[in-house]
Amino acid sequence: MTSLGNSSSTGTEYIVRVPKNTSKRYNIMAFNAGDKVNCSTWTQARMERDMSNRRMYGEEETPEAGAGSEFGKKQREEARRKKYGIITKEFKVEDQPWLLKVNGKAGRRFKGLKKGGVTENASYYIFTQCADGAFEAFPVHGWYNFTPQAKHRTLTAEEAEEEWGRRNKVVNHFSIMLQRRLREQEHGEEEEEVAGEKGGKKKKKKGGKGGDLRIHDLEDDLEMSSDESDSSGGEDGEGKSKSKKDISSKAKAKKKKKRKGSDQEGLEDSDDGDFEGLEVDYMSDESSSEEEEPEKAKPNKGDDVPKGIDEASESEEESEEENKNEEEGKEEEEEEEGKKTPVQTEKKKKKEKESSGESDSSEDSDIEGETASALFMKKRTPPKRGGRGSAGSSRTGSRPGTPSIDNAATSNTLRAAASKLEQGKRQAATSSSDTPAAKRLKMEPSSQSPSGKSTPQPASGKSTPSSSDVQLTEDAVRRYLIRKPMTTKDLLKKFQTKRTGLSSEQTVNVLAQILKKLNPERKNINDKMHFYLTE
Amino acid sequence: MSDKGQDVDLTRAKQNTGVWLVKVPKYLSQQWGKASGRGEVGKLKIANQGKTTVSFSLNEELTVVESSGETASSVRAPREHPFSMQSVGGQTLAVFTESSLDQITIEGMVVQRAECRPAVQESYVKLKKLQIEESTKPLRLSQRLEKAVTTNYKPVSNHTYNVEYEKKKKEEGKRARSDKEKVLEMLFSAFEKHQYYNIKNLVEITKQPVIYLKEILREIGVYNSRGPHKSTWELKPEYHHYQEGEEDEGTME
Repeated sequence: MTSLGNSSSTGTEYIVRVPKNTSKRYNIMAFNAGDKVNCSTWTQARMERDMSNRRMYGEEETPEAGAGSEFGKKQREEARRKKYGIITKEFKVEDQPWLLKVNGKAGRRFKGLKKGGVTENASYYIFTQCADGAFEAFPVHGWYNFTPQAKHRTLTAEEAEEEWGRRNKVVNHFSIMLQRRLREQEHGEEEEEVAGEKGGKKKKKKGGKGGDLRIHDLEDDLEMSSDESDSSGGEDGEGKSKSKKDISSKAKAKKKKKRKGSDQEGLEDSDDGDFEGLEVDYMSDESSSEEEEPEKAKPNKGDDVPKGIDEASESEEESEEENKNEEEGKEEEEEEEGKKTPVQTEKKKKKEKESSGESDSSEDSDIEGETASALFMKKRTPPKRGGRGSAGSSRTGSRPGTPSIDNAATSNTLRAAASKLEQGKRQAATSSSDTPAAKRLKMEPSSQSPSGKSTPQPASGKSTPSSSDVQLTEDAVRRYLIRKPMTTKDLLKKFQTKRTGLSSEQTVNVLAQILKKLNPERKNINDKMHFYLTE
Repeated sequence: MSDKGQDVDLTRAKQNTGVWLVKVPKYLSQQWGKASGRGEVGKLKIANQGKTTVSFSLNEELTVVESSGETASSVRAPREHPFSMQSVGGQTLAVFTESSLDQITIEGMVVQRAECRPAVQESYVKLKKLQIEESTKPLRLSQRLEKAVTTNYKPVSNHTYNVEYEKKKKEEGKRARSDKEKVLEMLFSAFEKHQYYNIKNLVEITKQPVIYLKEILREIGVYNSRGPHKSTWELKPEYHHYQEGEEDEGTME
C-alpha cells in the first residue's frame, strides 16, 4: 500500500510503520565527536567480537580425559558449586565488545563497549524513510560506544608513575618516549623490555651513568634522569635494585640541582619516603657506576650554601648512600654507624639546649661520629657544616678543620674533635674559617684563667704506647683534662671498651689509677664533680 | 561457531544515508508491538511553518491499553505525541545491523535525534496512574490460609523410590569376584580414560567387592592421600605412559 503524505497547508504527513519480522538487529555505533570519524570515507572495514574475556568465565583448564584427569571431576565440581551457591556469570557473546578495523592494517582501530541500560526504561527506534515516503521504525537492540585505540606506544603503569614523579624536573617531555625508543633500538628490540634485557640494561645504565655524570648541563641531568627512569622502568623485575638506582639517580639529580642553586619546590613527600628504604638496600651489591659518585661528592664540598637541617641530613644520607656503594663490607657498617650517630646527634641537638651537661653527651657522641667519619673522610663534612648551623654554630665553625686533617693520624683528629668540644662548650658563635689551632690557642689561655694551679705531670708512667686514641693512657687522660674539665663518666666514655680492648671493669680500674697519679683539680659544675688539669 | 570477523557492508555509509534516532516511551513501544498487518502504527506530521514541528499520532486501534485486572478499556493511551528534536552534537552516531547470518551492515548515520513525548492529556495521566499502581504491587504476596495444606505429603509405608531401589539391589546381589585378569583388564581400560579415580568409582566400574579390588589396586596402583587429587588411586608410573597417549598393559600376573 503506497501512501504518500497528504500535504496540508504547511506540513506533510507520513505513515509510520514498524516492521514485524526483521531478521536484522539494529545497533548504534557511537563515536566521540572529537575523534572526527566519517563513515563515508571508509573504504573497507572489518568488525568482530572481542573474545578476550572468555577466559575469565571459563573454568580452569583441567584435562577432561587422559592424563591428569579425574573420574567424575566435572560433576563433582558442579555439585560443589551448587552446594556453596557459587554463581559464575555466563560469558554472553552478545555483551562482548566489538573490535572494528577500518581501512585495513594501517588504518584506525576502534573498540566498541556495550552501553548498559539502554533498553530498560525507554526504547530507541531508528526512523528511516522508505522509497514510498513512509517512515519505518526499527527498535535499537544495543548501543556500543566506539573509542579509537592508540597505535603509538605508551608508557606502562610503572613508567608512567616514575615520569609523574619527575614531572617538575623534566622540561622536555617529548624526549621521554624518544629516549625509550632509542634505548629499545640499541638493545635490538627484543620481544619485551623486561625479558632478557636485564644484563644489557644494567651495563648500559652503568655506562650511561658514567658518561652522564661528567656532564653538568641541566638538560643532560634531565636526560640522565629520564634515561634512568626509562631503563629502570624497563626492568620491572629488578625490584629493589631498581628502586635503589632510581633513588640514587634522583638523589644525584637533586643534589645537582641544589648545587646549581636552582629554585626547587620543596622536596616531595615521595622522595622523602624513598630515602627511608635506603638503609635496607645498603647491603645489596651495587654496580660499578656508583664509583663515579664520590667524584661528584667531592665538588660538593666546596659548597658553602647554608642549608637547613633537613636538607643537610638528606644530603648526608645521599652522600652516605653513595659512599656505601663503593666501600662494601665493613666500611659500610662503620659508615652506617657514623651516619647514624650524626643523625642522632643532630636530632639531639635540635631538642637540647646548648648547655654544658647535656650537650656534653651529644658532643661526645658527636665526636665519636666525627672520628668514625674522619677515618673515611671526604664526604660528610661539608653538608654537616650547614646542618649544624642552627644547632651549634660553633660546631659548624670547627668543621672546616676536619677536612684538612683528612689524611692525618687519628690522634690529630682526636685533637680536632676534642677542640671542637671545647668550642661547643664555650658557645663561641664564630664563623667557619677558624682553624683548630687558632681555637686551641684561644681556649688555652681561657682555660688557664680559672685556676692558677698547674699540675705538670711527667710523661712517665705511661702504661701504653702513645699516639693512639685507642689506649687508655695517662697521657691521653691528661690531655683531656687539660682541655676541659670532665667528669669520670665523660672520661669513661672516651675510652670505650670497644676501642681500648679492655673490659669495663678493667677500664674503670685503670682510669682510677691514672687519676690518682695525675691528681687533677676538682670543680663542681652543675652539681657534678669535674676533674681538670692546668698546665 | 560463527565467524565473527566480518567485512562490513559500507554501501549505505558511502551514500551518507541519514536516519533519525527517536527515543520512544515504553508503553508506546508496547502498543506498537501489537500492530497488525504491515505494521502501520500511526502517522508522522511534519509542519514547517517557521519552526519545524514534528508530531506523531497513534492509530486509533492501538490506543487500547492492555492492563492486568480491572478497567481494561477505561484507560487508553494518548494519541498525540509531539517530538522534541535534539542535535546530534557531541557524538557521531552510526547505525549498524547484524543479520542472522552474522553479516554486518552499516545502515546509515544519525542526522537527527528526537524524543517522542506524549501530549499531556487526561488519558495519559490516567495511564501513568495505572502503571504506577502496577509497579508498586509487590511481586510476592503473603496470603493467610484457612486450613493447613495436607495434600502434598501423605504418609506412605514405603516410598516407591525405595521399593525400586531394594528390588534392584536384590537383583544385582552381592558383587562377585571375577578373575583377576579380567579385573585388571577393566582397570587398565578405565585408567586409559582418566588418570585419577576414586575407589567408589572404581567399584562401580568394575563391580567388584571393595576389599578384593583394593588388593588388586595395591599391586598396580598407588594411592594419593594428599595433593590436588586427594584420596584417589592412580596407576603406578611404570604402568602408564600418558604422554604418548597410549597405555601399556604392564606386566600382568
